[in-house]
Amino acid sequence: MAILNGCELPEDRAYFIERTQMTWAMVEGDRVTVGLTDPAQTRAGKILHVRVKAAGTVRERGKPIATVESGKWAGPVMAPVSGTVVEANAEVEKDPTLLNTDPYGRGWIVRMTATSPAELASLLRGEAALARFKEILERDQIRCVRCQG
Amino acid sequence: MSGSGSTSPPSDPTGKKILMIMTTGPEDPDKTYAPFYTAALMAAMEIDTTMYFLMHAPELLKKGAAEKIPLKKGGNLKMFLDMASENGVKFVACAESCRDLCEIAPGELIDGVKLVGSATMADLALEADSVLSF
Repeated sequence: MAILNGCELPEDRAYFIERTQMTWAMVEGDRVTVGLTDPAQTRAGKILHVRVKAAGTVRERGKPIATVESGKWAGPVMAPVSGTVVEANAEVEKDPTLLNTDPYGRGWIVRMTATSPAELASLLRGEAALARFKEILERDQIRCVRCQG
Repeated sequence: MSGSGSTSPPSDPTGKKILMIMTTGPEDPDKTYAPFYTAALMAAMEIDTTMYFLMHAPELLKKGAAEKIPLKKGGNLKMFLDMASENGVKFVACAESCRDLCEIAPGELIDGVKLVGSATMADLALEADSVLSF
């Protein structure tokens, strides 16, 4: 587990970082589990509402798979790859603070079937991901905190 | 806030159009935050969202103005204006209000604001699935 500015960045994940988006992807074959990273949940603040796209929804890379509201931030969670949502995490809709308290575990948002191997390969991993996070955390002065439900 | 059009939200709002009419300017800071926040959220839901600014509301879009509008929770309006813009909300300002009431020259508005006449508000309202006024 890499830690930058107090932000946990597990090395077994791939990352989608674009504009204001910082999502993680756990890739297993063509199956991808997606969630918010520690820096993303910190930047959003205590999350009050989450709406997740239903199973069966077809998404292109960069299109929303969920919307998140925290009172100080409202925005989309983008699909890191193109594909179809096969499972939406109903638990986070009932308890949105799971995105804050357990972003890499129970706070996962959707499971998707990816359609493009090239997109999966383009996700950031390892040192490349850490270098990009370092740049963003320093630029935006983010230091991670985990609010308690 | 008052609204018109359908009151029961569709199960999937993707592709719908919402027009928000903004009439409040910097004279009432507490009324400025929620419309930008709501617009940002609606755009994130893939609703085609337009904010139309008239009366004193275009003053919010003057370069450097949002930074000077404090919010009760801390910070200022700029972060909400940027959030709405980043999520894809379109900003449209009434040319007559800018010229005659607010005395704002086109070059004094932030980038991305489209100046239009009053008839455009009618077009936008008729094209929208719902109109909200603030």
